[in-house]
Amino acid sequence: MVIPKIKLAMPEKIYRFGSSDEESAKERYMKHTTLSATLLAILIMAASGAVRADAAAGGKLFQAKKCQECHYTSGPAKEKTIADQLAKKGPELWYAGSKFQKEWLGKWLQDPKPIRSLKYNSLTEKNAGNHPKLAAPDAVAMTDFLMSLTSKEVKEGVIKPNASPKGRLIFTKNMPCSGCHQFPGKGFLGGTNGPSLVNAGERLNPDWVFAYLKDGSKTFKPVRQMPVFAGLMNEQDMQAVAEFIATFKK
Amino acid sequence: MHRFVNHAVLLFAAGMLLGPSARAADGEQLFKFYCAQCHGLQGKGDGPNITEGFPVEPRNFTKTDEMNKLSDADIRNVIQDGGPSASKSPMMPPWGKSLAKDDVDALVKHLRVLCKCKGKQ
Ligand code: HEC
Ligand code: HEC
Ligand code: HEC
Repeated sequence: MVIPKIKLAMPEKIYRFGSSDEESAKERYMKHTTLSATLLAILIMAASGAVRADAAAGGKLFQAKKCQECHYTSGPAKEKTIADQLAKKGPELWYAGSKFQKEWLGKWLQDPKPIRSLKYNSLTEKNAGNHPKLAAPDAVAMTDFLMSLTSKEVKEGVIKPNASPKGRLIFTKNMPCSGCHQFPGKGFLGGTNGPSLVNAGERLNPDWVFAYLKDGSKTFKPVRQMPVFAGLMNEQDMQAVAEFIATFKK
Repeated sequence: MHRFVNHAVLLFAAGMLLGPSARAADGEQLFKFYCAQCHGLQGKGDGPNITEGFPVEPRNFTKTDEMNKLSDADIRNVIQDGGPSASKSPMMPPWGKSLAKDDVDALVKHLRVLCKCKGKQ
C-alpha cells in the first residue's frame, strides 16, 4: 500500500540529491527494476526520516536558544509597513532552506562572520559581529531545521554560475546593484547598506537569487530598501545577473 | 452578539478616524528608509553606500541653488525612472515599481524641506 506513494516521490529525490543533470537522473530512474527501486525507496525513507528527526531537534533548539526572539520561521511574510520592518531584530528565516547553501549555513552557524557591514536596520552603527554561535553538533541539527524551511516560489536547478560580460555589465554599470552591495571588484568594492555579496556564490542558492529578483516585493521581502526591478529588467537580464552573482567567491 | 456588533461598529468608526492619517505617506520616514542609504540622513549626499570609488556623488539636497534648478516634475521623474531618465548616472535607482505615487509626492515635499527651496516653477 505504501509503495506506489514512494515510487511517485522517487524521481524528485534522485534529482535533488543526485546529479544535477535531469535527463540522466530520469534515465537512471527508469532503468531501476521494481525490486531495486523498492529497496532504494526504503533506504531513502530511512535517510529522510533521520533528516526529519534532526530537523525536529533543530526546531526545538531554535526555541531553546531563543533564536525566535530575533527571527521568525513561518511564512508568509508578515511586514506591511516600514515600521514593521524596522521593528525586526533580525532577518526572516521562513524560506532559509531555499535561500542558503547548506554547507555555508552549517559553517556560518558555528562561526557567524558579519554578512551586513552595518548593524541590522541601522545606517549609522557598525555590525558588532556578536551573533550567537552554535557548537558543531547543534549547528548540524539547526542546519537541518533551517534547510527544511523552503518556499515553493523557488524553481531549483535553473541558475548555474556564469561570469558573462552581460551579467557583469548589468551588475556593475547599467543597474545600481554595486551601489548598495559589496562584491569582489577592483577599486570600487561596492556600497555597504545591502548584505555583502562578496561570497554570494558560496552563501546563496542562485535559484533563490533569481526568484528574489523576479518576485519583486511580493513574496520574500514586502518592505525593503532594495528597489523592485521586476518590470524594469527582463527575465534574461535577471538570469544573467543571478548567474554572475553565483560566481562571487572569496 | 449585541456587544460584538457594538464593538465592531466602534472599531470601524475608530478605523475611519485613524485610518487615513495613519496611512498617509510620511516623507521623512520614506526618505530615511529608501534614500538616506545613499543621500545621507540629512540629505547631504553622504550615506553609508558612498564608499571609496563610488562612481558619482549622490546629490546633496541641502544645496539650495542646485536644487532650485530642478522642478517638482523633474524630481518626481528621476525618482520614478532613475538617473538615466534625466541623463544622470544609473547609480540613482528607479523607484517607480517600489513606491506608490503618494510616496513619491511625499518625497518631493521632503526634498523641498531639505533644500529650503521651491524649485524651478
Ligand atoms: C539578538 C538577535 C538575534 C538572535 C538571538 C539570533 N539572531 Fe540570527 N541574526 C540576527 C541578525 C541581526 C542577523 C544579521 C547578521 C549579519 O548580517 O551579519 C542574523 C542573521 C542570521 C542568519 C542569516 C540570515 C540572513 O538572511 O542573512 C541566520 C541563518 C541566523 N541569523 C540564524 C540564527 C539562529 C539559528 C539563532 C539561534 C541560535 C539566531 N540566529 C539568533 C539576530 C539574531
Ligand atoms: C538601494 C540599494 C540597493 C540596490 C540598488 C540593490 N540592492 Fe540588493 N539589497 C539591498 C538591501 C538593503 C537588501 C537586503 C534587504 C532586506 O533584507 O530587507 C538587498 C538584498 C539583495 C540580495 C539578497 C542578499 C541576502 O543575503 O539577503 C540580493 C541577491 C540582491 N540584493 C541583489 C541585487 C541586485 C542583483 C541588484 C541590482 C539589480 C541589487 N541587489 C540592487 C539593497 C540594494
Ligand atoms: C544607490 C544610491 C542611491 C539611492 C538609494 C538613491 N539615490 Fe538619488 N541619486 C544617487 C546618485 C548617485 C545621484 C547623482 C546622479 C548623477 O549626478 O549622475 C542621485 C541623484 C538624485 C537626484 C537628483 C537628480 C538630478 O537630476 O540631479 C534626486 C532628486 C534623487 N537622487 C532623489 C532620490 C530619492 C528621493 C531617493 C529615495 C527614494 C534616492 N534618490 C535614492 C544615488 C542614489
